Amino acid sequence: MSAAGFSARGPLLAALAMALGLMGCGQQPSARVSLCGPAGQLRVGFVGAEEGRGSSGAAVLTDQDISRLRDLLTVASQCEVMLEPVASPEQAHQRLGASEWDVAFLPPGLAALALESSANRGYSLLRPLGQRSQSRSQLLVRAGSDRRAVADLKGARLGLLPRGSLTGFYLPLYNLHGLSLQSVHYALSYQELLDQLRKGQLDVIAWDAALPDPGGDVRVIVNDPNLIPVGALVLSQPLVAADHQPFLKLLDESAAQLPPSLGYVAGVLPEAQPLQRLRTVVTNVESWTLPLEGRPYAVYGRKQQLKDEGVMR
Amino acid sequence: MKFPVLQGWMVGSGQRPLRKQLAITLSAIFALSILVAVVLLNQLFGLQARDLIDQRSSFFMDAMLAVREYTSKDVNPIVAPLNEGPGGFRPESVPSYSAQTVFAYLKAKPDYREYSYREAALNPTNLRDKADSFETGVIERFRSDPSLTTLAGEKSTPLGSMHFVARPIKITKESCLVCHSTPDRAPASQLLTYGDSSGFGWKLNEIVGAQIVTVPQKAVFEAKDRSLFTTALLFVIAFVAVGLITNGVLNQLILRPMREISRKAEEASVTPATVSFDERNRSDEIGLLARSFERMKQSLAISMQMLKDRQGRS
Repeated sequence: MSAAGFSARGPLLAALAMALGLMGCGQQPSARVSLCGPAGQLRVGFVGAEEGRGSSGAAVLTDQDISRLRDLLTVASQCEVMLEPVASPEQAHQRLGASEWDVAFLPPGLAALALESSANRGYSLLRPLGQRSQSRSQLLVRAGSDRRAVADLKGARLGLLPRGSLTGFYLPLYNLHGLSLQSVHYALSYQELLDQLRKGQLDVIAWDAALPDPGGDVRVIVNDPNLIPVGALVLSQPLVAADHQPFLKLLDESAAQLPPSLGYVAGVLPEAQPLQRLRTVVTNVESWTLPLEGRPYAVYGRKQQLKDEGVMR
Repeated sequence: MKFPVLQGWMVGSGQRPLRKQLAITLSAIFALSILVAVVLLNQLFGLQARDLIDQRSSFFMDAMLAVREYTSKDVNPIVAPLNEGPGGFRPESVPSYSAQTVFAYLKAKPDYREYSYREAALNPTNLRDKADSFETGVIERFRSDPSLTTLAGEKSTPLGSMHFVARPIKITKESCLVCHSTPDRAPASQLLTYGDSSGFGWKLNEIVGAQIVTVPQKAVFEAKDRSLFTTALLFVIAFVAVGLITNGVLNQLILRPMREISRKAEEASVTPATVSFDERNRSDEIGLLARSFERMKQSLAISMQMLKDRQGRS
């Protein structure tokens, strides 16, 4: 190389070296895999494994649990988390129907509903939630009531949990098929329904057999034979198609940090079959014209019988 | 303090061709200039990137305030009566819901994906809006100092450091208290959706929450680095152009005539009569040098002629 040639390239080489250096400054290594929803956030719904235990969102999840769960999900997903704890199954029902949640912690009725959604907008089960219990749908009347059988409930004032609850909405309506009711009323918790029953504001209410004994002033008039399966953590289809295994792995490893009331079971896939049976109930009731608060209602519509009526797990 | 070696290497000590000495000197000056400029611009662009993000955040918050206003004035009077009926609660009547929904649509666009908007409250109706410990700190600062209108700074999250801008949310309309004073004033559908223990007890003119826009610090740094890189690249291109032009001019004005004069001087040392330093007509230093060589050539020719004459006489 001639001296003249070298000298002409001198400033050019120095400039190139500096430009490459500058380019290097602007780059940062990134090996993180994030699991975000289509909006660039991870929208997480939280209803919990049990329904109708409290009358507010705060009863579903404490402030401390919200903070801890939000942080854990943020670390697991590497994405900004929008955690929405809800008390009303109906609100969850709307969110699931509109695919507004990417991940959701659901009780069994809503988990069945999530499976019910169309294939491209539906959800897949990831992990079971909650403890196995003697959860069954029941209908209670006051002990002194002269109503003895289902047929006697014609013209009654019925108390239910909001739409979306299995033991508090779908199964009671399913079991009252064919009856005309004077009115239907809603409450967020079984305790509120029980209080209204005792006050005489309602004639019959939905109840869950897993709850503590309500006392001798009320009695069971309908006892559904189906044992209720546990709830489930569900993931929306777009995220199922994405690489969600690191997210799930971290949740499994951090199961001890999740709220104990959640009953998260690490490393186990939920049993889909019992929930599939529930889908029949949910699908049937969802196809009916549904009752409005305080309005008369005839429980009428297509009703498919469940095969192997009995244990749902 | 003197550094003879460095000075000799940069300015030249006559050990290398002039062109190479100049190239080295220019490269060193340009590199040093770019380095100093990059260091200073790094600071300047950092401030500018932060300002830009703050401005955009303020715009978002103003836009969201406008959405809140529209919902409060125009949508709520139409939708709120429906919430008194037997159907479910319609959150479209709630300003906060509208603002956050509109922002979610905005965030779906790639240009705004980095931005996040929250309307965090100490005691929200929807627990999705529950302030975390950091947000609680921000809201408490606004509550303790009502004259404070904006807060900006950095916050640490599990995803890394974030830049935030916050403004207080103050209850200025009596209509807000229908849903947020006591459960007995709230629509039944609201109670059935959110329960009766959250989002109540608010008072007129009370700061209940904060609008908070957050952007990852990484995005701030990336914006700054992009500006810095572009500017530095322009510097480099400009300096390279200057270097090449200087090199060309040096070659044309000095080096080529000097090489020519040098060649003629060598020839003149043998046959001075056949050489002519035509550059002597130039009025610059090259002309001066050529005139000197021309005089030297003539002196040499005379001396050589005298020497020949003397040898002829003897």
